[in-house]
Amino acid sequence: MIEVENLTKKYGDRLAVGGVSFSVKKGEVIGFLGPNGAGKSTTLRMLTGYLTPTTGSIRVGGVDAVKDPIGARRFIGYMPESVPLYKEMRVDEYLRYRARLKGVSRVDVGKRVDIALGLANIGDVRYRIIGQLSKGYRSRVGLADAVVADPPLLVLDEPTAGLDPNQIRQVRDLVRGMAGDKTVLLSTHILPEVESTCGRVLIINKGHVVGEGAPGELRIAEQGGQVLVVEARAPRSELEAMLSSVAGVKRIIDSSLAAADREPPVVRVRLGIEGPDVAEAVFAAMAQAGFPLRELRREQTSLEDVFASLTTADAAAVSASDAEPPPSTSAAGVKP
Amino acid sequence: MTAIWTIAKREVFAFFVSPIAYVVLTVWLLFFGVVFCVLAFAFSQQATAETNLLTAFFGGTTLFYLPLLVFAPLMTMRLLAEERSSGTIEALLTAPVSEVSVVLGKYLAALVFWMTLWAPTLSYVWLVARTGENAVDWGAIGATYLGLFGVGSFYMAIGLFMSSIARNQIIAALLTFLALGSLFVIGLLGFLNVSDEMRGFFEYLGLWTQMSAFAKGIVDTRYLVFDASITVLALFLSVRALESNRGMQ
Repeated sequence: MIEVENLTKKYGDRLAVGGVSFSVKKGEVIGFLGPNGAGKSTTLRMLTGYLTPTTGSIRVGGVDAVKDPIGARRFIGYMPESVPLYKEMRVDEYLRYRARLKGVSRVDVGKRVDIALGLANIGDVRYRIIGQLSKGYRSRVGLADAVVADPPLLVLDEPTAGLDPNQIRQVRDLVRGMAGDKTVLLSTHILPEVESTCGRVLIINKGHVVGEGAPGELRIAEQGGQVLVVEARAPRSELEAMLSSVAGVKRIIDSSLAAADREPPVVRVRLGIEGPDVAEAVFAAMAQAGFPLRELRREQTSLEDVFASLTTADAAAVSASDAEPPPSTSAAGVKP
Repeated sequence: MTAIWTIAKREVFAFFVSPIAYVVLTVWLLFFGVVFCVLAFAFSQQATAETNLLTAFFGGTTLFYLPLLVFAPLMTMRLLAEERSSGTIEALLTAPVSEVSVVLGKYLAALVFWMTLWAPTLSYVWLVARTGENAVDWGAIGATYLGLFGVGSFYMAIGLFMSSIARNQIIAALLTFLALGSLFVIGLLGFLNVSDEMRGFFEYLGLWTQMSAFAKGIVDTRYLVFDASITVLALFLSVRALESNRGMQ
């Protein structure tokens, strides 16, 4: 549905997007993730034809968006980040206008507007003036505008910004409901949103793609394995020495004193492990040594950690050496 | 085609729900009502053979031209500048419509504003036709409105262009005022003591000579060519301004 190759955008001397390439298949829901100012919006604006790329090619639905921008735009329902709307119009008037502008025939306009109102769940404000609506309603009007002409591709730039938790869930359900039927590209910096809606994530930072893959893949890739948290009452150095000798434990990530005033102290250790039964081995070793075990659990690496590490430390490495992937992220699906 | 019409319709709608439309229309009607009254009194006191009330009203006095320089910018300032300052231009330019359609749609709407402004003056013509002692020269009236349309077409086009390059409405209005004002002043230079060639040049650019000719019933196609050229140039530049927008921002 989308093929982007080596896309760059320069504003004067400043490089906003530097050589972004990715492709999106039909029916995919893909999340575009990055900190503010990473180049997400600029990339989406080039994709939707609002901005012309400095170099690179974009194909939307097989149409070259640089050579035939109008043809490419026909495939896209776009909701810009700021959700610009004509404040003096009523919701119904606005959606009718937008539908006509996007080439919906006069006969179908009423039906399409009804469907869009239903999808965005804003039937109750149909005849209200947009300028008087709350931010939550306005962004859903923007969403209705994106779907009103029934385009095969939806590009949503931060669709849940400014919504309350219930509305966020509604938007997520809406996006998930459209998966398969429509291709959705949504940008966000809210991570749970991506985990719950997107089949694939593209992490972008400082104008470059720094990570790509399914949310689950990215997690494992980041840690290079699983993490086990052990909390026990034992002298710290003895405990560490004992744990590192257990089979399957690769390294001690960190350790800390949870309650130093007690004797022996409560120590919490995070272990990098490999293999299926490491927790059992740790338990057995602890029992043998006679250290009371207070907690033993597997840690879920959050996408948040992945995001933080990809967009802070490693991003510097990426921009420093564009060709080589940074060593810590060279695992599955992560590329510079 | 559909896109042009859709954009024009929305624009006319937006203009007529905005307070500025009613402020402009009200002040306009008041002002020209007073001017018409004053002229009517003057002519009833002292009729002349050279001119008549309607010819004097449409372009015989400065009172006709100066308000145009103020009102035209007010009508065109929001066309594209408001889209830019409120961000709606992003929604407009990512719809599958060409820049040409956007510009033509907006321009069509501006022409509708212009004609709405002048429509009430038809009642003056009707008044004069009913109550005046001499018959109204309908040919001259037709020529007058043709002249008004010609002037309006290039005034609105210049206003649209300024709105396409300005960041906000106020700057758009000021730029339009400056452009139209300069053209008007250049036209006035023809009244100075200059050589005949220079006078011909200034008068060609001048609104005054154009309107006073048309108000007398003289349809001078040179002026219409001038109006059309300025219009096409300004619309072309507006399209280019929108296109360059996609590279900058």
